[in-house]
Amino acid sequence: MKKLFSSVLLKKLLTVAVFCWPAVLFAQDELAPVSRTYAITNVNIIQAPGRKIDMGTVVMKDGLIVSVGKNVSIPADAIVIKADSMYVYAGFIDGLSRVGLTKPKDEERGPRPKDPGNPKPEEAGITPQNDVRVSLNPAEKSIEELRALGFTAAHVVPYGGMMPGNGSIILLSGKSADQMVLVNKSSFYSELSPARGVYPATVMGVMAKYRELYRQASLSRAYENAYASNRAGIQRPATDRVLESLYPVVDKRQPVLFKAERVVDAQRVLTLQNDLGFSLMLAELKEGWDIVNKIKAANAKVFLSLDLPEDKDKKDDKKKDESKKEEGKKDEAKKEEPKKEEAPKTATAEEKAALEKRKAEFMARYVGQAATFQKAGVKFGFSTLSAKSGNIQANLRRMIEAGLPEDAALASLTTAPAEMLGLSDRLGSVDNGKIANLVISDKPYFNEKAKVRYVFVEGTMYKFDVKDSKDSKDGKKNDSGSKDAGVKAEGEWSISTETPNGVEQSKLVIKKEGNTITGTMSGGSINPAVGIDNAKLDGNALTFTFTFNYGGSNITVEVAVKIEGDSFKGTSSVAEYGSFPTEGKRLPK
Amino acid sequence: MKKLITIACLLIAISSMAQQIERGTVLIKNGTVLTITQGVKENTDVLIKDGKISQIGKNLAAPAGAKVIDATGYHVMPGIIDAHSHLALDAVNEATTPVSAMVWEGDDLDPLDIAMYRAIAGGVTISHAMHGSANAIGGQCQTIKHRYGTVDPKVLMMEGAPRTIKFALGENPTRVHGNNGAGIVPNTRMGVEFVIRQAFSEGKEYMESWNKYNASKNQKGFRGAPPKYDLRMETIAAILRGEIIIHCHSYRADEIYMLLKVCKDFGIKRLVFQHVNEGFKVAPELAAQGAMASVFADWWAYKFEVYYSTAYNAAILTRNGVVTSINSDDAELTRHLYHEAAKTQKYGGLTDDEALSLITINPAKQLGIDNRVGSLEVGKDGDVVIFKGHPLSVYTVPAYTIIDGVIKFDREKDADDMRLYVDPKQTIDITDAVFEETLSHNHDECMKNAEFLLNVKFADQNR
Repeated sequence: MKKLFSSVLLKKLLTVAVFCWPAVLFAQDELAPVSRTYAITNVNIIQAPGRKIDMGTVVMKDGLIVSVGKNVSIPADAIVIKADSMYVYAGFIDGLSRVGLTKPKDEERGPRPKDPGNPKPEEAGITPQNDVRVSLNPAEKSIEELRALGFTAAHVVPYGGMMPGNGSIILLSGKSADQMVLVNKSSFYSELSPARGVYPATVMGVMAKYRELYRQASLSRAYENAYASNRAGIQRPATDRVLESLYPVVDKRQPVLFKAERVVDAQRVLTLQNDLGFSLMLAELKEGWDIVNKIKAANAKVFLSLDLPEDKDKKDDKKKDESKKEEGKKDEAKKEEPKKEEAPKTATAEEKAALEKRKAEFMARYVGQAATFQKAGVKFGFSTLSAKSGNIQANLRRMIEAGLPEDAALASLTTAPAEMLGLSDRLGSVDNGKIANLVISDKPYFNEKAKVRYVFVEGTMYKFDVKDSKDSKDGKKNDSGSKDAGVKAEGEWSISTETPNGVEQSKLVIKKEGNTITGTMSGGSINPAVGIDNAKLDGNALTFTFTFNYGGSNITVEVAVKIEGDSFKGTSSVAEYGSFPTEGKRLPK
Repeated sequence: MKKLITIACLLIAISSMAQQIERGTVLIKNGTVLTITQGVKENTDVLIKDGKISQIGKNLAAPAGAKVIDATGYHVMPGIIDAHSHLALDAVNEATTPVSAMVWEGDDLDPLDIAMYRAIAGGVTISHAMHGSANAIGGQCQTIKHRYGTVDPKVLMMEGAPRTIKFALGENPTRVHGNNGAGIVPNTRMGVEFVIRQAFSEGKEYMESWNKYNASKNQKGFRGAPPKYDLRMETIAAILRGEIIIHCHSYRADEIYMLLKVCKDFGIKRLVFQHVNEGFKVAPELAAQGAMASVFADWWAYKFEVYYSTAYNAAILTRNGVVTSINSDDAELTRHLYHEAAKTQKYGGLTDDEALSLITINPAKQLGIDNRVGSLEVGKDGDVVIFKGHPLSVYTVPAYTIIDGVIKFDREKDADDMRLYVDPKQTIDITDAVFEETLSHNHDECMKNAEFLLNVKFADQNR
């Protein structure tokens, strides 16, 4: 019995290890280490970009780096880590993310607002008084995922609308929200996100509201100062939690951290900054290559997104290459055949080739954004807000392949964000006196085969086991295959969506042939029936889109639901209007 | 000293901004020049130097670096101006409130919109990027030059163009906000008048309270609180001060006459009516008050209030002395506004100059930019269209479009793919792409972003 139990346990453990590679073997909730002094010996120390010590030693004590160098004496109480020929860097800093935050559930939509032009601030996404510490959860899995990549600090912000609240810089370790916070209220976080169904429901509404609030805050700030100097005989200023939250921004004691992914949005933010004069950090930028000089002129600090558009063509090519290799020599003879066939090119083929070429050209711009900024001499950091942690290392390598020097990539993960966030005295390099945030990889970090082996956050060690990557791939395949087996998407469903106009009832028919999913939506406003596109079933997650004609406009709806037996739940989203709760039930045959 | 540095920085910033607008030098040789305001000049050259028309005459010499276009057998006319458009906009309606004067379309311009290039290919060099018609008092609009190729929305904005704002009467605002929509005022045409009068009255009070505060704040010993800053009222006050031109969506004669009276009561003089299908009934009244009209050539019956219409509308308004233009309100229609103008020769017998004025100097007057564009005169902006065939002929083809002396469209060199940004994740499916593009031109966008407030049964009426 015991044997059986342990083998099951072992299998479970293995699955976990295989599935979530690299697995964490040492976690905080285990026994506390006997000493808080560590010495990493015989390691290549990259103190900062361009500063390297070959085969040296780093000593940490009580969460601080105490000595770095070649001939460093190792304290008697030190736990020694023989990091033979490994590489140690300063821990990475994330310029904008929601790591450690639990995503709030989409609130049930109440009745239609009585006067959508005059909503309460919180209905309009205006909650600048919010403190990110309230929603910070040290047990969130995202912390572990980001830390496993070498990130040790992050600028985190609350969820919300146009003014979600105050951001904080946190360390990616700690038992409580307060313990994690390194700098509280480090930024006034803002987005150009419209509210749902109430003012401001459009980008121009958000811009107008932002201007109005800022100017109201400037005026009430001035009046409060006047009142404070002599209170007798004049009316007391009213208190207002929204405007008061803006005072540090108006006084330029707190920067505005603004999310702007697209080139048009970034320029809208720069317009606001130009009109109002706040100090600006622009984050999660994805399309900045044409506005480098504008950002430079605005003196804005910039964090580029670590999310990149996925290069599906390249992935397919790789697969093809692999299969071709396996097929061997026969294939080489085949390869020449298509060339002959290509000779009379049709107009459609030519057009397709031209469109593909432009697509590739833009893929190169997205991937080359960081290199463009670097060449223009603009300092930048990185942000992970919309990046999948599983893609981050690969994306960094893609940026480097596109011309970003490795030193610059390292600077943008360490020294540059430390400087931009005012943390250079504490973070960003491997130097005496700094907080002991380190990442140790077995090969140089940007090497394709490099694996993170240790991460230290304020002297707390996280060790990562290394598994053969091939096993993990196979394991993943098997696992997702078995996950699919129990889920049945095909059939007829009734689907209802709560829209601002009331509940929309439709019928969804799903067909599955092999791995291809097709289907139709009909009923309610969808008349005549339309086909569904981009349908995908991943585990029990079904996603698809459909486009129907609504009053002369084509509206595209993105549906994402999770199937549980004979029902599903999820959301339907329409660009600009937001997303609405969706439910479905299988129709009896 | 600090102030000086700030001013110096500001000057540098302004000049660097000005530099971003590309201005070119072009010599157009030997064309039939339709000046609009100064007659037709045969076999004449037009020289645009650094973005401005510097000479119109015979045998002009090309300055060094000038591009030369041989326009022998071609017609040369000023760039077409569309006084009602929703091109290059991300959002059209802030439909959550009946008075949305605080929002401004300049804030959500989309310089990447390919529709702008298509408009250029139809000779349109300037359009009036308007807020939609969901609200009695809509958002502020923005006059844009089609400087397609820039990613900078500020470069699109026509420098020095006066501020404008959208108003709307009749079915659209009552449908969005009334009992079939949000369930607030206005639910009727009376309600629309009330909303406008109330906003003007509040704006007047707001302006007075600020004037009073500003006058007393510098007096010794003054310690009062400022009035509450309100961006909506700031805009209304600017309308009352005559700094903003009203462009009002309207159809019926009674409501047009209503707004004439309201504006008279509040001393507002700069007023343009949009659509104005029943304008022919109140043409003398419009002329008497100096109000202008921007109409469709022959588009009506898309909802109840637009049945009483005539293709003679533009001609009747013109002959009654109303400054009249023909607009598109639509990304497809804007590409052949010259055909739309030509219809007034069949319906109403307008002269060539009168018909062409409907899409050039008259919309320029309605947007307050007639000192800069709308005719070919020395000193005006180098915005020119060159047609093969007379622009009012049904066989005409636009050959070149020039903006600020820069050739923005050349039919001979027209590239297949003029998109500025390409989605690297798009799936390329050529057949689908073609179909989607042609189908999407069946409607205008006047009620875009307001649909969610409407009940489904009304959704087919979206103009």
